Amino acid sequence: MTVIFGIAAVLAFGGALGVVLSQRTLYSALSLVLNMVSLAVLFLLLDAQFVAAVQIIVYAGAVMVLFVFIIALLSPGAEERVRPLELRMLFGGVLAAVFTVVIGRLALNGITVTNNGHFHGALGPFSPSLVDAHGQVQTLGEQLFTTYLLPFEVTSLLLLVAAVGAVYLSKHRRVSS
Amino acid sequence: MSPAATSVLLAVVVTVVKGLLVIIVLLTGFAYLTLIERKVSARIQLRYGPNRVGPFGLIQPAADAVKLLFKEKVAPEGRDRFLYLLAPALAACAALFAFSAIPVNQTICIAGTHGAGPLSARCPGGYPLHWDVANINVGLLFILAITSLGVYSIFLAGWASNSKYSLLGGLRSAAQLISYEMAVSFALIGPVLLAGSLNLETVVNQQHSLWFVFLQPMGFLLYFTGALAETNRLPFDLPEAESELVAGYHTEYSGMRFGLLQMAEFVNVITVCSIATVMFLGGWMGPFFFLPNWLGPLWFGAKVGLLIFVMMWVRWTFPRLRYDRLMQFGWKVLLPLGMANVLLTSVFVALH
Repeated sequence: MTVIFGIAAVLAFGGALGVVLSQRTLYSALSLVLNMVSLAVLFLLLDAQFVAAVQIIVYAGAVMVLFVFIIALLSPGAEERVRPLELRMLFGGVLAAVFTVVIGRLALNGITVTNNGHFHGALGPFSPSLVDAHGQVQTLGEQLFTTYLLPFEVTSLLLLVAAVGAVYLSKHRRVSS
Repeated sequence: MSPAATSVLLAVVVTVVKGLLVIIVLLTGFAYLTLIERKVSARIQLRYGPNRVGPFGLIQPAADAVKLLFKEKVAPEGRDRFLYLLAPALAACAALFAFSAIPVNQTICIAGTHGAGPLSARCPGGYPLHWDVANINVGLLFILAITSLGVYSIFLAGWASNSKYSLLGGLRSAAQLISYEMAVSFALIGPVLLAGSLNLETVVNQQHSLWFVFLQPMGFLLYFTGALAETNRLPFDLPEAESELVAGYHTEYSGMRFGLLQMAEFVNVITVCSIATVMFLGGWMGPFFFLPNWLGPLWFGAKVGLLIFVMMWVRWTFPRLRYDRLMQFGWKVLLPLGMANVLLTSVFVALH
């Protein structure tokens, strides 16, 4: 388990670095795919098979395919690098430091270290055994349609607005030209 | 060795052996599918087909493999070197990986008291032998996830070749796969609703009295049509339409690299036919219940083979669609029908 976690974590980190550092746009997008698939492996290690599968289907299989499609269609050249300004680098460094502290605090919240060196996160209302007994998909679906119904519906409305906007923009341009 | 370590070791050994078996069977299946495809097409066109190498041309696949291995590997100028090599490897990996969640027989209990009846997969005191490489509780989603990653291989093969035909083939295939993935997923929701599970073994077990094809005739047709498009078979083979794109995304591949892309295609055909068998045709279940258990994989193979034959039959009988018609058919016919099917099935399940 630890070995697999290590490999997946390194790949996820490498993928994230690749998105930022690679000069060709297609390689950036493919690095993001690597990052997302590695995250799916981390979900699998947490016994969340459903979330892992959805992570791959939605992000790697649908969203990123469209990204890659558009990139290849426009085929942009290599990124132009300007010499980073000192002020810009300073600002970026400060931001990165602040976010590292904030996210680190959130991630470490409630984590305790046992005597034999294992980490334990804060316990929520759902234990793995409880979720498995009820079924992963069933638990998630019930929560989505009861406790989190409002955010769920608002999100779907947001997506609908985006879709309508995209259709309007493409139709509008065709009429005017 | 502690009991926990022993069970982990046993699990690893069993998985590796099963994985190797699946790879061997799939690769043999691929080799002979190339021969069968040529034979079937020849019969439909009133020809003989390959019949020189061995009796009935049975050693033809070996001759083809040797030819591909010794062919000069011509690679286009200005290609993206890394992605050009990655694409065929990715295609083969994704195709073989997707099959690992498909059960070809019911779980067999070794050295334990088998639970009551053929439906029970519980096995107290013994070792439950699952007939798939990985028994995943969201098996169907796992397969859909892996096949959705397969798009990248076709697309990258087209992009990295630095050729207009290849790029057009890759773009077409990406658009087509995204469009038809929706219809295919909607068609598969029907059996999932009826079975109440995403685990493929449970889905098959739920069909012990009646195969889902009889409850979901529309879902089966939608899935099969969508599967033809997902595997780039005629009449939906626009990504490699030879009359306009030479060979589409694999125009610039030769030798064994071409062989790998071809292999991925045929293994995908086997996989989608296996999914159809599991979801609609009762998986390993034969038409009669008194037949022994070990016939399960044979029944499974027979059903898959029948579906593959229908796919070949369709390929050599129907003309190719025009690309805009293909898109319209996917979004305006298959998808609404799939949604209606899901709606009807959910009402049926809720009332039942």
